[in-house]
Amino acid sequence: MLKGADIVLQCLRAEGVDLVFGYPGGAIMPLYDALDGSGVRHVLTRHEQGAVFAAEGYARVTGKVGVAMATSGPGATNLVTGIADAKMDSVPLVCITGQVRSALIGTDAFQETDVFGVTLSLTKWSRLVRNIDEIPEVIAEGFHWARSGRPGPVVIDIPTDMLKAKKEFSGPVKFTPHARPADAKAEGGFTDTVVALLQQSLKPVALVGAGAKLSGAIPELRRLLDTLNVPTFATVHGLGAVVPEASYYLGMVGMHGTRAANMALHETDLLLVFGARLDDRVTGDPSRFAPHAKIVHFEIDPAQLDRVRPCEIPVIGDLAETIPAFESELKRHKVPDFGGWRSVACGADRAELDPRGLAQPTIRFLDELFSRLPEDSVILADVGQHQMWAAQRFNSGSPRGFITSGGLGAMGFALPAAVGVQLAKPDTCVLCVSGDGGFQMNIQELATVHRLGLPVKMVIIDNKYLGMVRQWQQLFYERNYAETDLSDNPDFVDIAKAYKIHSFRMKEDVMREFPVSQETGDQIDRFLRSPDPELLVFDCAPEANVFPMVPAGAALSEMLLEEEPTQ
Amino acid sequence: MQSFHIRYRNTQGTLMRILNAASRRGLDMPFVQAEQGESEHQVTLILDVNAKQVGQLYREWYAIADVIHVGAGSVHSDAWTDHHPPSGVTIEQQRAAARA
Repeated sequence: MLKGADIVLQCLRAEGVDLVFGYPGGAIMPLYDALDGSGVRHVLTRHEQGAVFAAEGYARVTGKVGVAMATSGPGATNLVTGIADAKMDSVPLVCITGQVRSALIGTDAFQETDVFGVTLSLTKWSRLVRNIDEIPEVIAEGFHWARSGRPGPVVIDIPTDMLKAKKEFSGPVKFTPHARPADAKAEGGFTDTVVALLQQSLKPVALVGAGAKLSGAIPELRRLLDTLNVPTFATVHGLGAVVPEASYYLGMVGMHGTRAANMALHETDLLLVFGARLDDRVTGDPSRFAPHAKIVHFEIDPAQLDRVRPCEIPVIGDLAETIPAFESELKRHKVPDFGGWRSVACGADRAELDPRGLAQPTIRFLDELFSRLPEDSVILADVGQHQMWAAQRFNSGSPRGFITSGGLGAMGFALPAAVGVQLAKPDTCVLCVSGDGGFQMNIQELATVHRLGLPVKMVIIDNKYLGMVRQWQQLFYERNYAETDLSDNPDFVDIAKAYKIHSFRMKEDVMREFPVSQETGDQIDRFLRSPDPELLVFDCAPEANVFPMVPAGAALSEMLLEEEPTQ
Repeated sequence: MQSFHIRYRNTQGTLMRILNAASRRGLDMPFVQAEQGESEHQVTLILDVNAKQVGQLYREWYAIADVIHVGAGSVHSDAWTDHHPPSGVTIEQQRAAARA
């Protein structure tokens, strides 16, 4: 006879889980009681949101399912932002929540919330366990849905009496999904049509999103892109999928994408999309998105097709299957030479402007940091201006080397996510770039970093504002900086010291010298190579802005390249 | 008005997920009828939707784990907007039942 809690942990082990993140509480105490000796390591964060973001970080960098645990009521509701984040960014995540005992469900008992209902629209699949006998099947099915197709979040809510109850346990089970008659594999016929469109096209481009990474088809994608040799760009989650040195690669596309990428996307007559949702930050005004183009959309999740703009040819299926099918069809034909178009789209007159203005020192600082990182480092960016600067300057071909909350844009993501990444990759340099606003949203996770001795390298780009909101206020709300002033920030260096983490401040003036002085370079090298956690607070000009920028509701061709001279 | 017929396994939350796909878009649901079939359940919805929303709903429903089949029915006339079915029991009947 085993307790339900022991069965849960055995089933987790059977799913390959050896690390979970969480925070204990009343209803989930039986599960915590059973952890010792279970083979599942638990990492205590200092807030449930820290736990779920850490689980996400672990999942994003490994591709495995991340697991977070919390108690009922406030514990479970504190997971909600992370669950929404995982849904938006296709992160395989299983959240296990304790629930009040079965007899109390529905009575508004102490720490009771309808977690199943609260998370229904945010999860890919969820269950409230009603009987101890269900536990093995529920966990097996939950993990199946978390990792299959377009990955996503799953919630398993277990009443505390189910965790305490005992039953005969014959071992974990396997889940076999029900076949659906309409589950269509990519139809062989699509390849002919796409090749025909390519042959008719004069200005084809390729757009790469996170789906290319999730499918594990990076080698196939890179081979295909080399064959196509057409101007190519990536979404923020597609960064690292394309080798940055490729002559056809134009960098990031979208609201803060490169000028060359946005212009090519505006001018193209054939857009090949590989695993991207085409959300509004990528498309700008949907009615003027790629206005001359036919769209071929390679996508695993049919729900993502035609959301903002109809596509001419949906290619539904795993990119690991559809890309090779397209590639083999392409081999049977002569691929047109798009050299003329490529030389226009990738031409020197569309190259990025050198950083200038108030943001120049910060951009140079990020360049210095990134250029000195060991190979295969992982960069995490929080949400805001620093996120976009970091994405613009990211210059690595490591497919899982840039991690951020892209779809939800959840401030406070990066620090706890870095905990998960560092635990998954203990020998990798993990650089966590945050703003002063976002860092304070989960600042308590410094305690987790310290407790575990994780050598995370934390950077705060400190402009003493909620910078991205302030930038919009400056540009679109006549500089009415309503409630974005953070000039009374605490001293982050002192705060880190209180957590026993070495920290120091760097003035932006040191980046006005170019190349940077030996002393500054050494300081950055020492920071990156320290075996201990480190915090570097970089002073950023309060009114530095991110450019290029496509204003909300504008077309990609209407990007602002730099400050208006009058400002 | 467009009718939709969705067959699904009657697992926890599946019907709610189906309805949520409509409610999250702010769509009124003048007609909803869920019923048990032979080995599965079916819900019929009549919604006032545009062509773009039809496609979005169709695909979003199909992405739900326990949805088996999504079919779109005929376009209905304004007759569907005149009342709010199902109305198998009238208020008078309810009152009478309550008084009994």
